[in-house]
Amino acid sequence: MASPGGHGGGAVSTRGGGGTRRMKWALELSLGNTRQFPVPSCRSRGDRQSSQGDTLYPIGYSDKPVPDTSVQEADRNLVEKRCWDVALGPLKQIPMNLFIMYMSGNTISIFPIMMVCMMAWRPIQALMSLSATFKLLESSSQQWLQGIVYLIGNLLGSALAIYKCQSMGLLPTHSSDWLAFIEPPQRMEIMGGGMVL
Amino acid sequence: MANLRTCLAFLFLCCSLCDAVYEDQVGKFDWRQQYVGKVLFAHFESHSQASKKLILATDKNIVASLNPRTGDLFWRQVDKAGPEGHIDTLLFHGQVTGNGRLLRSWESSVGALNWEMLLDPGSFLAAVLVGTQDSVKFVAVLKKATVSLHYLSNGHQKWTETLPDSDTVHYQAVYSSGGSQLFVLGVVPHSHLSIITFNIEDGEITSQRSVDAPWLSSIQARCTVVGQGVLICADASTLSLYMLPLSSEEPVGLQQVPLQSLDLDLALGFQPVLLTTQPNPARPPLAQFFLQLGPDHHVLLQLSDGHLSPLRDFQPAFLVSFATTGEKTVAAVLSPKNETVSSKEGVKRSFSEQSNQGSLITILFERKPDLYSADSGRRLLDTTVTIHLDPNGGKPEKLYVHAFLKKDDSVGYRVLVQTEDHTITFLQQPGRIVWTREEALADVVTMEMVDLPLTGTQAELEGEFGKKAAGLAGYGLAAMVLKRLSSQLILLQAWIAHLWKLFYDARKPRSQVKNEVTIETLARDEFNLQKMMVMVTASGKLFGIDSKSGMVLWKHYLRNVQPNAVFKLMVQRTTAHFPHPPQCTLLIKDKETGLAALHVFNPIFGKKSHVTPPTLSRPVLQSLLLPLMDQDYSKVLLLIDDEYKVTAFPSTKNVLQQLQEMASAIYFFLVDASQGKLSGFRLRKDLSTELIWEVVIPPEVQKIVAVKGKRANEHVHSQGRVMGDRSVLYKYLNPNLLAVVTESVDTHQERSFVGVFLIDGVTGRIIHEAVQRKARGPIHLVHSENWVVYEYWNAKSRRNEFSVLELFEGTELYNSTVFSSLDRPHLPQVLQQSYIFPSSISTMEATLTEKGITSRHLLVGLPSGAILSLPKMFLDPRRPEMATEQSREENLIPYAPEMPIRTEWFINYNQSVTRVRGIYTAPSGLESTCLVVAYGLDIFQTRVYPSKQFDVLKDDYDYVLISSVLFGLFFATMISKRLAQVKLLNRAWR
Repeated sequence: MASPGGHGGGAVSTRGGGGTRRMKWALELSLGNTRQFPVPSCRSRGDRQSSQGDTLYPIGYSDKPVPDTSVQEADRNLVEKRCWDVALGPLKQIPMNLFIMYMSGNTISIFPIMMVCMMAWRPIQALMSLSATFKLLESSSQQWLQGIVYLIGNLLGSALAIYKCQSMGLLPTHSSDWLAFIEPPQRMEIMGGGMVL
Repeated sequence: MANLRTCLAFLFLCCSLCDAVYEDQVGKFDWRQQYVGKVLFAHFESHSQASKKLILATDKNIVASLNPRTGDLFWRQVDKAGPEGHIDTLLFHGQVTGNGRLLRSWESSVGALNWEMLLDPGSFLAAVLVGTQDSVKFVAVLKKATVSLHYLSNGHQKWTETLPDSDTVHYQAVYSSGGSQLFVLGVVPHSHLSIITFNIEDGEITSQRSVDAPWLSSIQARCTVVGQGVLICADASTLSLYMLPLSSEEPVGLQQVPLQSLDLDLALGFQPVLLTTQPNPARPPLAQFFLQLGPDHHVLLQLSDGHLSPLRDFQPAFLVSFATTGEKTVAAVLSPKNETVSSKEGVKRSFSEQSNQGSLITILFERKPDLYSADSGRRLLDTTVTIHLDPNGGKPEKLYVHAFLKKDDSVGYRVLVQTEDHTITFLQQPGRIVWTREEALADVVTMEMVDLPLTGTQAELEGEFGKKAAGLAGYGLAAMVLKRLSSQLILLQAWIAHLWKLFYDARKPRSQVKNEVTIETLARDEFNLQKMMVMVTASGKLFGIDSKSGMVLWKHYLRNVQPNAVFKLMVQRTTAHFPHPPQCTLLIKDKETGLAALHVFNPIFGKKSHVTPPTLSRPVLQSLLLPLMDQDYSKVLLLIDDEYKVTAFPSTKNVLQQLQEMASAIYFFLVDASQGKLSGFRLRKDLSTELIWEVVIPPEVQKIVAVKGKRANEHVHSQGRVMGDRSVLYKYLNPNLLAVVTESVDTHQERSFVGVFLIDGVTGRIIHEAVQRKARGPIHLVHSENWVVYEYWNAKSRRNEFSVLELFEGTELYNSTVFSSLDRPHLPQVLQQSYIFPSSISTMEATLTEKGITSRHLLVGLPSGAILSLPKMFLDPRRPEMATEQSREENLIPYAPEMPIRTEWFINYNQSVTRVRGIYTAPSGLESTCLVVAYGLDIFQTRVYPSKQFDVLKDDYDYVLISSVLFGLFFATMISKRLAQVKLLNRAWR
């Protein structure tokens, strides 16, 4: 269902939205003749007709775009701060992860495995969507620094997960883990015989 | 502490092992067959019409009773094996049987022991039932120097008397005819005959006389008592019979009757055998008797008024027998059917020729025992039974006849024929075989299990890629596609037929569905669980038995096999090489001459192969089956003779060329136990050998008891063991390792010992030696993977002990790609531990699986007849004294000196295998499953799952529940999806 708000104003969009998403209540700013349309889908159609018919604009609607005159210093700081939040996010999770690691113990059972999987999966996911995060950080002046911090944080997170796997014995680091792949040695001599019959 | 340890061990057991068979699994995968051995004495019990029985005593020291209708065992009493339990004679009167050293009476209906009497020492000679006034009351037992009389009812001794001059006179026979006298006959060889008469009531010697008989050397079989107490002896040198009335008071000499006067012609080398019958011990024997004149010539003679007269001449007649029912006595004569051959020599010659050829035998072996009235020698009407003897069987050896009175007062009879190959066949009058028992199977010497061949359709598919493909390649792609399509079609057809059969059988009641196994329908099953058991028996008869049902599918009797021959069975070609037939080779070595012969046969059909084995002119010492194959895919068998020269079989050019290339890598070892010498040889290119090492174990101190290498078809999956700290302890897997067990010659309790040597068979290097002091045999040994388990008797503590040796290479592998005994600088680490076992054992073997992933169990045959499946886990020298974190990680059970025997470990539950002598294990197509055959007096076959059935769904797997849950969930999803759609739509309309 196409939203009529695309060419209409804010109020129309609210009303149109009310058509698709059912709301408990709706504020009708335009005093339209809506009462005769009880069915929501029909009502929106009626709206469109009415908005196309006469130039009835809602209160506070301005045809001309308002020029953004003030990009203020405070906002810039805010962006910077927000970007640092994003960059430091993985690092901040590490103490939490450490605590979870400590709590879950080294036994191999369903909960610790789930924890480890989550711990390992989150940094990997973050590293996969690295470019998207960098785009987010584009607006910041310290973009590169933040990027590196973000990267390091995620790497640390995955290192932690690997460490956890290691302490749980899930990594094939011992010779015993490769025992099953050792082929039986080939026999060089053929020997036989026995007691004299 | 000990308590805690046992507790821990117990916990371990509880959680780790539970092998027992469930009640509904009984007989599902296993079967047992019971045998009695070669029949020595047989009697028919026919007193009561309701319970007919056949009472047997055999060379395996068994008294048994068979059901004459089915041939099944009613009961069986097994005495001690060996000469100690030997049955000297079996007397049958209602319920009595006698036994050599002991006199025992058995209840014939249930086989219970009535009484038992220990006889005086002295070698047993004869026993006879003694009757007075028409009732049998006593048993007379003749020993070397005494004669004693026992009550039949309770075994108590009535009297015992010493025999006069027992050092010079050989007393050999005892005779009574219902009067008050008991005659004991003795002979001084080539001098005179001594006859002593005892009074039955008090044992007093009433008369004693001696008769000159310088021609007589032995009474047994040469002399017999006929009619009213007339002793008749046959003499081969003078070709005459001698008669002597026993009871006459006046001293008369032996009356000579030349055989010529009876118009009997004699063969050269005349060995007379007299056969008489005494239907009732309380009455004198019949006046008619048989005299054997030649191997196929018998004559029925009659004694009347002191005159001998021939009643009837039977020629050819191989076996004769008497049978009595009521007042009538009949004589049965077994003669070959084609009576066209007239001359005696002709029969003999053709007989021996035929028996060697083996193909035309059927006609000649058709025998018909005719029934003749013993009184007149007249032939009874319609009494011929034609026996079709198996052309693969032996000649008839003994004949037991059971005669009975029919309703019209004529005499009917049944015959029990025993042949050379220990088969007993029971026949009814029209010639119908009622049952056959293969008693040769009571003495299995060696066996192998061979895979069954693929079915025709499977073979068809295989063939496409084999030889046929080569021929078809010329026709191009289209032909190949057509060929493939047609074979797939055949497969589809077979599958549909199979489905149809399943459907058809499902409607029939369960009991009617019987899968008849015949040799034609034999085919490998999905998991290769059904195999052909090829069994070699001591009598020289080979059997092919279906391992699933226990049915004998083929049998082949090897004539000319000496009773003490040594057998070695080898599978040269398996069924995997279609279209070449599988091939087994049996090496038969005669102990006395040392000469050996090879019998090459197809293990599936039992037929002799067309391949001609090499003739072996020199005594063969050992054989070796190489993994080399000739172009026909049969493995090469090397035979080493007493000049240490090697004969190859097959010896085609291809094989000889391969042998030349491989010669320097082929080694032999020979163990001469009498000289205590172990020697190693290497093959030269010209098929001679050179001695490369020799180890002498002084035979005056200790003797070599057993030498065991590893089994050739054994696979070891894991090359090491994982330790608690997750490092690896690598196994020392030397394929050339031999375990040699010695026992001390000195058997004194304090000085006896058992030695175990681990010797490399290629280099002769002694890898390890262990000595168990104050220990004695018999020693049972299993050598597998990197361990050796042996069992011995601890003479000091008076108990049986198990000891295990395990060899490890350490935490580093010396060479992980190849194993060469010539390049092994480091000796392995050897660990050893011993345990107390609460029972003695009869035999021991380890389980074997396809890939060696499954854990191993030891199968221990106990003298009680049980077969114990003992996890190898319990025999692990790394079991710690104290359980630590690491040992727990490794699943090591803390050491406990006592080895438990848990009844759940008995794989044969209550199906005891009497006198188990060997256990054979074979891998199946399933990694979890190992096929087991235990043989001894009985044969038992089953499957074992040492690590449980990890690759198969369980028997009681709930298919219905699982599938119903699956379907339920599927439909629930469908329905709920539909419901959700409807609900969404409704919501949209609101």
